[in-house]
Amino acid sequence: MVTEQKRAINRLESRKLLRPMLDAMYDSGGEAAKAGKPVAWCMVNFWEGDPILRAMDVTAIYPENYGTVCAAMGAAQEYLGRSEGEGFPTHLCGYARNCFGYTSKMVELGDTPPAAPLGGMAKPTFMLSSGAFCDARYKWFQALRRYWDVPLWVLEMPHPGIHEIAMEGALDYTIKYVVAELREFVAFLERLLGKKMDWDRLHQLLDSQEKVFEVWGAANELRKSTPCPMHARDFWTMMVPAYYMAAMPGTLEAYQAVYDEVKSRVDAGIGSVANEKYRLGFAELPPWHSLDFFNDLAERGWNFVTESPGYHPPPLSKMERVSDPLERIARLIFENFMGDMMGAGVEGERGAGMAQLYLKMAREYKVDGMLFHPLLSCRTATFYLTHAADVLLERGRVPSFLMQGDIVDLTVFDPTRALSEAEAFEETMDHYRELRKKEGLGW
Amino acid sequence: MAEEKGLTRAKQIYNQRDKRARELKAEGKKIIGYMCIYPPLEMITALDLVPFRIFGDINEPITKADSCLPTIVCPFLRSSIDLGMKGKYDFLEGLAGAHACDVAEKWCHLWNYYIDPPFHHFIDYPHVVHKASLEYLKSGMNDFTKSLEKYAGKELSQEHLKEEIKAHNAQRALVRELYDLRKPDPPLISGTETLQVLIALMSIPLEEGSELLREVIKEVKQRKDGPQKKAARLLIWGSPIDNVALVEMIESLDANVVMDDTCVGSRHYWPDVEITADPLDGMAHRYLDGLKCPRTFRETTQSYQEDLELRFGYIKEYARDWNVNGVILESIKFCDTHGYEVPSLKDYLDSIGLPNMYLEHEYTMVALAPLRTRVQAFLEMIG
Repeated sequence: MVTEQKRAINRLESRKLLRPMLDAMYDSGGEAAKAGKPVAWCMVNFWEGDPILRAMDVTAIYPENYGTVCAAMGAAQEYLGRSEGEGFPTHLCGYARNCFGYTSKMVELGDTPPAAPLGGMAKPTFMLSSGAFCDARYKWFQALRRYWDVPLWVLEMPHPGIHEIAMEGALDYTIKYVVAELREFVAFLERLLGKKMDWDRLHQLLDSQEKVFEVWGAANELRKSTPCPMHARDFWTMMVPAYYMAAMPGTLEAYQAVYDEVKSRVDAGIGSVANEKYRLGFAELPPWHSLDFFNDLAERGWNFVTESPGYHPPPLSKMERVSDPLERIARLIFENFMGDMMGAGVEGERGAGMAQLYLKMAREYKVDGMLFHPLLSCRTATFYLTHAADVLLERGRVPSFLMQGDIVDLTVFDPTRALSEAEAFEETMDHYRELRKKEGLGW
Repeated sequence: MAEEKGLTRAKQIYNQRDKRARELKAEGKKIIGYMCIYPPLEMITALDLVPFRIFGDINEPITKADSCLPTIVCPFLRSSIDLGMKGKYDFLEGLAGAHACDVAEKWCHLWNYYIDPPFHHFIDYPHVVHKASLEYLKSGMNDFTKSLEKYAGKELSQEHLKEEIKAHNAQRALVRELYDLRKPDPPLISGTETLQVLIALMSIPLEEGSELLREVIKEVKQRKDGPQKKAARLLIWGSPIDNVALVEMIESLDANVVMDDTCVGSRHYWPDVEITADPLDGMAHRYLDGLKCPRTFRETTQSYQEDLELRFGYIKEYARDWNVNGVILESIKFCDTHGYEVPSLKDYLDSIGLPNMYLEHEYTMVALAPLRTRVQAFLEMIG
């Protein structure tokens, strides 16, 4: 008799509700292009540009996400080689180089490359860059003008310092600036598409998005419980539709079901790992191709109870309610990416605040250790990890384990070696657990 | 012993950058470090503070910075914070930071955490040049002024700021006069000497720098032992060059470096700030739109070729005015803003018939050595 092997991670049943939505999302770009509808190549932008695009009936395609797909399906190597042949330095973002290679091939063939994963990316009607986070996210599409003679817009997002934004009037003029840039973007779209923005629809989309964020955020709050009821594996499965499919019919109901299941586990004292021995946080994107690695860790009692703050929804309860939808988006940006850091600045924290967010997270989720996954060709994701590890150890007595990986080069991550190092890391976590107790740090 | 002047003094300052700053500090002056070309120096000097540009050191191994910065980020920035952590910038009272690029932005915050200077202010710069972004930057510059005023314990009037802008414009004009001396063939001053002078300027007070420039210009015009005529007249484009080693290596071959488009060169001094009724209008315009670093996005047009003209047309003018016959595109490894630019800039230079090559290096003396052969091959091609 064949018996199903019991997995060490107790996955949520409700996660399965999200899968069809993801499939629909990946299919939407090609279908829109076939139907002659406008398609935009976009930088990942759920907090700012996406609702506006949807309200204008534009289908977004994300070359960043497509880089992940090409890497996982073994197509990236050819595109990376082509990118180098086109003269792009090899130290640039792996997703960007994948895209340069893909695009140069598409232009050469005059059509989508036949072997491109998931049917490829359709030719864009226009491109939407982003000024948020890293320089690649606007320089990349600017460089794509070599191949695509299509309009390009850069959607700006300010990056004020945490002390400077606390100066009198600074938040107001910064919000005003974001709103002005969003208004310019809407005007750009209206000119390009020859139609007017449907403001009511934008309101509805933002309503739906915020409702999903609230439920999804509440489900994640429940993970502070001991044992933690939801593993990072489930988080990663569900974070993408939360941001990109929030406005679709059925999404809110699916996340409500997720919340209900997590809550029922908390009430019953059920954890996502049978014997939760260590509670860990994970920073940056996981090694998508080697997720079974987390089962091996779960067998050792490692439960992953939270992830990088940037991948979690903003605490909407703190957000000031406004009627202008563009200001609503602007305020969402600040809650999502600066809210806690601004608080840290007011309290006199030095530095950027990102390390302090990890420290706050470690305290709230009672974390024993952090698993950091620096991504070799993504400088922005990796930049603060060394610093965060330093601050976590110095001020929270929380040790970190750095496990090298990359966003396109799948050979960088070595699960066997990582597992062996993880075993040794348990002694370190034990040591610091004792130290935290001695120093009265609370967990 | 009489105090040295002109080129000799510039070289002395270049070789011991912190000497004058330390003397000034001992006299009670406050020295404010700044990174890159984006912090507006006019406000710093107007409040009687002394700006001092922070660089790395290609001769010094990075040891301390590994505890806060991964190895895959700009080695120039890694090196400079490494020096800070080792106490080599301990004469600085503060940091004026700006969002030049993504890594420089984060670097400023780390400097604040690890060096913890008494004064620290970060100015956010938009990536795009829109009316609203100029207004946003103007507000940010206003806050910078407030922070400086609080630190310096005095107020800065608009009229005083205008006077200071004039003083900085006067120094910019002197630098351009110096660059004009590179137009003849052979140039009257080498690329190596020019770089030494510019780095010296970024290490001493404004008026001392302007005086140094006047001495250098006079000396260079009078001397008879300047650079020799060579086959190649090159322009160097790219990321920061804070050490003469690369230029010296190129000029040891059959080439004179007669022009640059780097931030330790022309980008720092072109163009002037226009004196406007509200001086912050002119300042915001110059610092966001006027500076030519690829970190700023230029609006796209109807065609790629028009985009290129908009982005790089000024390099064609440099090439014409300085009679350039080859361009070296230079970038420190992991510099994204310059790295993404390379294929497009090569497209443009090819389209206007200017031979060019791309050199990438890791910001160490050892890494520069193998580049010599490549430069030699390039020179043979254009010679």
